[in-house]
Amino acid sequence: MICAKEISFSIGTFELKRLSIDIAEGEYFILLGPPGSGKTIFLECLCGLKRIKFGQIRIDGCDVTNLEPRRRGIGYVPQDYALFPHLSVEQNITFGPRVHGYADANINETANLLGIKHLLSRSIDGLSGGEKQRVALARALVLKPKILLLDEPVCALDEVTRQKICSQLSDIQRRLGLTTVHVSHNLEEAFSVADRAAILHDGLLQQAGTLDELLRKPKSEFVARFMRCENIFCAEVTGRGTRDSQTSVKLGDIELEIAGRHSGTLMLMIRPEDVLVRHGSAYNGKGGNLIPTTLVRSRDCGGYVRVELDGPIKLVAHLTHAAFAELQETHQPDIVAELDLKNIHVLPQ
Amino acid sequence: MRTAGNIPVRGWRDRIFSAAAFFFVSVFIVFVLGLILTDVFYVDSKAVVTVLTSRFILHALWMSIWTSFMTTFIAILFAVPMGYALSRFRFPGQILAEAVVDLPIVFPPLVAGLTLLVFFSQTAIGRWIQDDLGLEFVFQPKGIVLCQFVAAASFAIRSAKTAFDDVDRRYENVALTLGCTQWSSFRRVSLPLARNGIIAGGILTWARAFGLFGPLMIFVGSFRGRTEVLSTTIYLEQSVGNLEVALAIALLLIFVALIAVTAIRLVGGSALVKL
Repeated sequence: MICAKEISFSIGTFELKRLSIDIAEGEYFILLGPPGSGKTIFLECLCGLKRIKFGQIRIDGCDVTNLEPRRRGIGYVPQDYALFPHLSVEQNITFGPRVHGYADANINETANLLGIKHLLSRSIDGLSGGEKQRVALARALVLKPKILLLDEPVCALDEVTRQKICSQLSDIQRRLGLTTVHVSHNLEEAFSVADRAAILHDGLLQQAGTLDELLRKPKSEFVARFMRCENIFCAEVTGRGTRDSQTSVKLGDIELEIAGRHSGTLMLMIRPEDVLVRHGSAYNGKGGNLIPTTLVRSRDCGGYVRVELDGPIKLVAHLTHAAFAELQETHQPDIVAELDLKNIHVLPQ
Repeated sequence: MRTAGNIPVRGWRDRIFSAAAFFFVSVFIVFVLGLILTDVFYVDSKAVVTVLTSRFILHALWMSIWTSFMTTFIAILFAVPMGYALSRFRFPGQILAEAVVDLPIVFPPLVAGLTLLVFFSQTAIGRWIQDDLGLEFVFQPKGIVLCQFVAAASFAIRSAKTAFDDVDRRYENVALTLGCTQWSSFRRVSLPLARNGIIAGGILTWARAFGLFGPLMIFVGSFRGRTEVLSTTIYLEQSVGNLEVALAIALLLIFVALIAVTAIRLVGGSALVKL
């Protein structure tokens, strides 16, 4: 559906560097990255608000690189929505149809879909963040675009409204079969809406794939850290493991075994939720990847407890509240972290 | 004392600060009103009758009104596209272009009259416009509008540019994705959003044009019943010793200005707030 091929664009000192992304028809694609990574610029290039220096943009097989924004069939919801302050809610929604000369445009269907029919006579000034978001969405959807581009559509909303709007966005996208590109820096948002995602950093595409791929098989340290993996270590290969298909590595003062055959220096990643933690009494100094540690700090993060462990290496683990309560029952500081082979991921160098 | 919007809880230091600010507001208003009242008490009824019945003074009033409004209209006609272009487009020599636009604000109005006189009487192009094209400006009523335009249009252009600068480009971008061309996004989005700033610039332009004196005396003179406007009439009356009549005309000028500014405020909404 959308094929961006080697897009280059520069503004001041910032540069989008040969960005290539393919987005399938009907897909909900989320573009992730820290602020200033070029997400919004990429979106503006897609809808023709910025002229790209090199590369090609194809929509539905047609080259739209030099096509005006109004001819691309794209609905665009910018950050902070940019609702026209001199027009009422209804006039904002009918703006597109009026420009196209559809004087008697029926906006009721769109207004009902988004649950904003009661807002139509209101002015923009008095709307809440969530209401503005839905009006902006209605304004973009009323023209029945093939593609919907959303620039941080829920970043200014509170947590509850954000979740509500995200599930609404997901429902609408599926119901209308819209190809949607959503820009965000928030992982929770990505998990609640996206089929696939890409991570941008400093104008460069770091990785694109399913969220599980980004989470479990990051292709760089940046992607791993962006996906909130805190356990990233540099390790030296010392030889073969206990099986042929395994490799033994030295990580600080300890030896670990990892899956696969490797050589030289490796960058290892273990997701915090994959670190298993149990009482020190269970540690006999032998066996798989068992690491003696002590609990340094813990923080309740709502859905899980984040614990920092100190030992031969510093680890961060995410535990369920039940697992953490069990750990605390004994009042012993010594605990053992177990790292399963299959959960130790080697980052490509 | 009334304060607008949501006000925070204030301590005694804040109250002193507010009082100090209002002290200056009060001093200025009292001073200006005092000056006007001085004129009011100085003028006798005979002078007022003279002003209101003099054919020449009423003609000067009419000239002041129509020329200043015509100047404002032409200035806005230039200011809107110029303000948009200076705000939205980047081009080589832009800083110099903006400096040239601002020049008439900075130099003494008298210079505008002198320059125009020299241009139309001493240069080939000026003489060609006057003699061959038949567009006579020197000592002609048309010259009043031209002179006022040169001296006052910069206010409208500067205000329009600032107004367009204040319109977030994202509004135009969204309009483009909703089917607008650049012209229709300007017409449907940017222009309505910049309206107040443009009106504010129009008011400044009108005020400058309405009270203009020096350059008019040089460029068009002050011929009774032809090129005389209220500001030049005041000068002429006081120079022949009719101080009461001069002050009565000044009061008329103030009265008309007050009506015009109030009317524009009512029509233009919050435009004056931005002044």
